[in-house]
Formats: sequence, C-alpha cells, structure tokens
Amino acid sequence: MNTAVTGPENMASVRRQPLIAMRGVSKHFNAVHAINNVDFEVYPGEVVAIVGDNGSGKSTLVKMLAGVFTPDAGVIEFEGSPVSIHSPASAQDLGIATVFQDLALADNLSIVANLFLGREYTKRGFLSDHHMEEEAVSLFRKLKARMPSIRTRVSSLSGGQKQSVAIARTMLGNPKVILLDEPTSALSVTQSAEVLNLIESLRERGLGVVVISHNLAEVQAVADRIVVLRLGRNNGTFHSTDISYERLVALITGATDD
Amino acid sequence: MNAKPPTPGSQSSLRESNRARIIDAIKQFGGLTQVELAGATGLSAATVSNIVKELTALGVLNTTQSIRSGRRAQHVTLARTPGLVGAVQFGLRHMRVALADTSGSLLSDHRLPLGTDHRADAGLDRAALLIADMLETVDASSSELLGVGLALPAPVDMSTGLISSPGIMRGWDNVPVMDVMSQRINKPVAVANASNMGALGELKHGAAMGARHVLYIQSGLRIGAGLILNSQIFWGANGSAGEFGHMTVNPDGAICRCGNRGCLETEAGAAVLLDSLRGSHGVLTLKDMLRLAAEGDLGCIRVISDAGRKIGMAAANLCNVFNPERVILGGDLADAGEILLGPVREAIERFSLPSVAESIRVEKGSLGADAELLGVAAFALERFVEDGSILMGSGSASALSPIPSPVPTHLEDQ
Repeated sequence: MNTAVTGPENMASVRRQPLIAMRGVSKHFNAVHAINNVDFEVYPGEVVAIVGDNGSGKSTLVKMLAGVFTPDAGVIEFEGSPVSIHSPASAQDLGIATVFQDLALADNLSIVANLFLGREYTKRGFLSDHHMEEEAVSLFRKLKARMPSIRTRVSSLSGGQKQSVAIARTMLGNPKVILLDEPTSALSVTQSAEVLNLIESLRERGLGVVVISHNLAEVQAVADRIVVLRLGRNNGTFHSTDISYERLVALITGATDD
Repeated sequence: MNAKPPTPGSQSSLRESNRARIIDAIKQFGGLTQVELAGATGLSAATVSNIVKELTALGVLNTTQSIRSGRRAQHVTLARTPGLVGAVQFGLRHMRVALADTSGSLLSDHRLPLGTDHRADAGLDRAALLIADMLETVDASSSELLGVGLALPAPVDMSTGLISSPGIMRGWDNVPVMDVMSQRINKPVAVANASNMGALGELKHGAAMGARHVLYIQSGLRIGAGLILNSQIFWGANGSAGEFGHMTVNPDGAICRCGNRGCLETEAGAAVLLDSLRGSHGVLTLKDMLRLAAEGDLGCIRVISDAGRKIGMAAANLCNVFNPERVILGGDLADAGEILLGPVREAIERFSLPSVAESIRVEKGSLGADAELLGVAAFALERFVEDGSILMGSGSASALSPIPSPVPTHLEDQ
C-alpha cells in the first residue's frame, strides 16, 4: 500500500514543486524486476532517506537518478519537466550530484587537488593554487565541516573526512540534488557524526538530499521523510517523526502486511 | 602589564593576532600538529613553530611528540592543569559531548543529531566512544578523566539517573543511566536535569552571573526551568524541581506525555507549535520555523509569540511566588529573540504584582546552545574535582546545594 505523503508545502512561497519526481518507474534486468512501479519525490531543503533490505532496489533507484541506468517504464521529472537522464554527465548537467560508496577520490593527491580535479583554476597556463585553496577553505567553512588543512593528502584523512571531501567536491558544481549512497556505513561514531552534521547543513542550504542507508537510527536522526523499498516496490513513504523504529523494520522485512 | 593596546599594523599587533589565530584553531579542533596548524591558519611553518615555542614557554600551549603519516610530528594542544571532566548533554533530537578542564571551559566538543524516541543504550554507547575519541585528540590519558556529568531533558532521580517520570523520554524509561554509563567508561558519573544544568551554566558563565535569585526557562521541544535561589541551584526533594513545562495551565487541555493534561508543554512546547503549522506550512522542523520567523513569515511569528505569551503568564505566576531578579530564556525557541521575549516580558509585567515585576529583568541567555553543556561541565567539576568549588572561581561558594538523597515515597507504603 502506498501511503501517499507529499513533501512540505510552504506558505512563504507558491506551492513548491519537487526537484525530482519519479512516477511509476520500473526497471528490470532480464527477468528480475529490480524496481517495480515506484513513485518518489524530493523537494528542496529536505532530506529523504531510502531504506530497504539488500535486493530491495535502493541502489538501482539511485543509479537511475545518477544516470547510470535508464528506466524501462515510467517518467522522471526534474523541476516539473520530464527529463531523460541517459548518462552521469547529463545527471550532473541537470544539477544532480552523486557520491557513491567508493568515494572516487585520488588518494595520493591533496584535498584541494581532489576538489578541483578536472576543473582546476588556471591563470595564464599555470595552476592558480591560491585561488583554489581560498575557495576550498571557504567551501568547508560554509558546510561547517572541520578540516584542519586542505593541503593534507587524502590518504591520511579519516573515513569521515574523506566522505566530507567527496561531498564538498560535488558542491562545487552547484547541484540542486545530492545523492548519497551509504555515506556512513564504513565510519566510526565520531566520523558519522561529522557526516550527519554535514547532511544537515546541506539541507539548510536548500538542497534536496537523498540518502540511502541501512542505519535506521541515523536515518531517523537526519531524514525528513523515509521511503521504504521492499523487493523493488515502494512499501510506504513516511515523515520520520511519524514512524517508529519497530514499524520501519517491519516494513523493510515484510513483517507487516501494510 | 600592557596598559596600551598595540597600534594596528605594528609588529606586535601582528604577532598578537597570529597568536590568537593559532589558539583559536586549536580550540576549534581540540589538538593539531604544527603542519596542520600551518594549513589551518595560513601562516608559514616557521611562524607557527616560533609562536608555538613562545606560547609553550608562557604555559598557554603544550606540545607532545606524535606521528602523522608515518613521520614525526609535533602535536599541539592547550596547556591545562591535569584533570578533565566529560560533559554529556542529551536533547530530544540531538546529543552533545564535550571535555572540560578545571576552569570549566570546553576543550573539545562533538554534536550528533538523533531520531525522535532515541534509545538510551545506543546514545550512551556513542557518548562513551566520543569521549574516548576526544581524550585522544587533546592528548589526555584516560586516567586524567575524573568523571562525567550527564544532562537529560527530563526529571531525573539524581542518585540513580533513572527518569522519574516515565513516558517523557520513551527510549530511556527504566534505564539506570548512572550505572550504565559508569560501567561503559569506567569512571564516576553524575546525572542531572538539563534545564537545571542550563541554569547552572548561565549562573557560572552567562547571563545569570552575579544574581542571587533567577528563573531560567528553557523552551524548545521541551519546556523546563532551573531555579536559582540564593545563588544555588534548587533541586527539591528528589531532584525534580523546575518542571515548569508541566504546570497545569488548562485543566481540560491535551494529554501530555507525562500523563497529566493541559501542561504548559502541551500548549507552548515546540512540537505543538510545529503541529499547528502543518496545515498551512507542511511539516517543519524547529529550525525551519525559526528561520521562517526570522524571514518574516507571519504564521511562524504568530505561533511563536503566542507561545511566548503563555510561557510569560506561567512565568509570572512563578515570579509572584519567589520574586526573582532575572528571568532568563534559553533553549532553541529563545533563538527567535524578541519575537519570543517581547510577549514573555509583556505577560510578566501584566500578570505579576507590580512590586515583583519592577525588579525583574527578562533576558535571553548569553550562552545560547552551550548553556546546558557548560552547566553540566561545572556540575561534574564540583562533584569530581577535589575542592572543586574553590577551583571554580574567586572563592565563590558552591553553586550546588546538596544533592537530594533518595527519599522513600509515600506510595511505597501501599
């Protein structure tokens, strides 16, 4: 049963529309229906968590938004207009940034170098280090991420700091939506705290943040809405304050027949 | 002693500002290597090394040898007298953990958001891990940690850490917090109510300094108060004094989590305010509501100021009873500033006796979100540091009246 809970509507502005809306989206791999007729929305300034067991279709859903897969049925709308996200580049052009679990950082380079990899600032043919460093520092300050030195090599950073760098890097493209795939799964408590705080500050900046996570405690801590996927179907969308931990687990595992 | 501040742009003023930058960076991160300091402040390695040497000689900083990326590094921390306490504060939707030295100032802190109805076991586990992590960052051995103070947003039995009113924090009911936490970290633990700790924080370091009788009201998701009488925190018979949010203001009102109905919290607590905005504004968080109110949203402003009027009226009743010099507003909702304070002030003036009203100053707390954490650090210092009350500043008498020992309740006789 789909509990149709729409995202926040604001008195201060005209009825808001979702940044991303997926309607009736399906994806199959040969005979396997990875995603089956799923509806999904993300609004600006909110955190939506996608939860579900292994094989529920979480990754497939996010990969469709990231441009890795294309849906076999259904429509994806970006800011109200139907779009076709046929490659990661087109996802980025739309303003959808993704951080996958492997983070894709160059370990042997510094934080600054990683942030600007492929889009370095140059001045008369030389790298404009000063300019890039200033912007890196200001970016981390805006995100309220604690990063002592931006010249440190990424390889000597903690897991949480690496995650923060990966997220900060996406911010340089001025995205509207950020997709995070299991951002805290490999992290210690302290490090997870930094990432959760970072997710909150992304929300404050008006971005739509989609988080895939299996850590329900953290999901309840930062998410505004929670989408439960089970066997490729949307098993319910809830405001995080309206649903208990037990009920979430039941919906994920199928213990209830909701 | 310098009587004159150095002229701007001079060598000495530059040196002072560089010193300040280094100290600020260390305060922000708890401890850094010299290389990291150079990166964080933008100063050259040579400058950093010189300044660190100077400040270490002056006793402001402390350096130890450490290793970074397989190489030797100088790890720099603030110098402090040995002896640290942990300060843990749980809110309904977040937790904060800090280390404090014997002067009561925070050396390092962490914040972590939590879900509604978060559980005690997970929360206490995380607090213990965060404390261990911070000890490492500030280069302290675990033997330096003398004890941990813990603040909960509910009335607590201070001899066990049990929440004395079930239902207020569902994930924490029947958990003997003091035992559970002290087993986890192997140190003594003291538990207190968060509003009382906020009052203590403002008394020691903030807007209540110097006053003898203060009503500190904390409003946010919960409404609570800390009473300062004769410059001491008033605990009551079993530590539950100050449950301002559970004053009955409407005998036919909504059922409260505490089991009663029509409590002040059911009329002016942030959860209720957010609910009342659901129809027009959708689902908002407390931060959203405060931001919208600051931007001029009429609905949010109205809802906050109406809450201020109700809080003020209840406060006026208390003021008539114990005649405080100051009423200090803390908690998340106080971030709304005059939108909340104005109506509180008006209501106090209106509903209390003229002689009472004229001696009251209504103010916002000066410590913001740090009030409870600083308070619980002060609490832990007084409990766990020998002669703690003397250390806590210029011969001031202890700000804590004796902690109530468990009192047999008459209910047990039945």
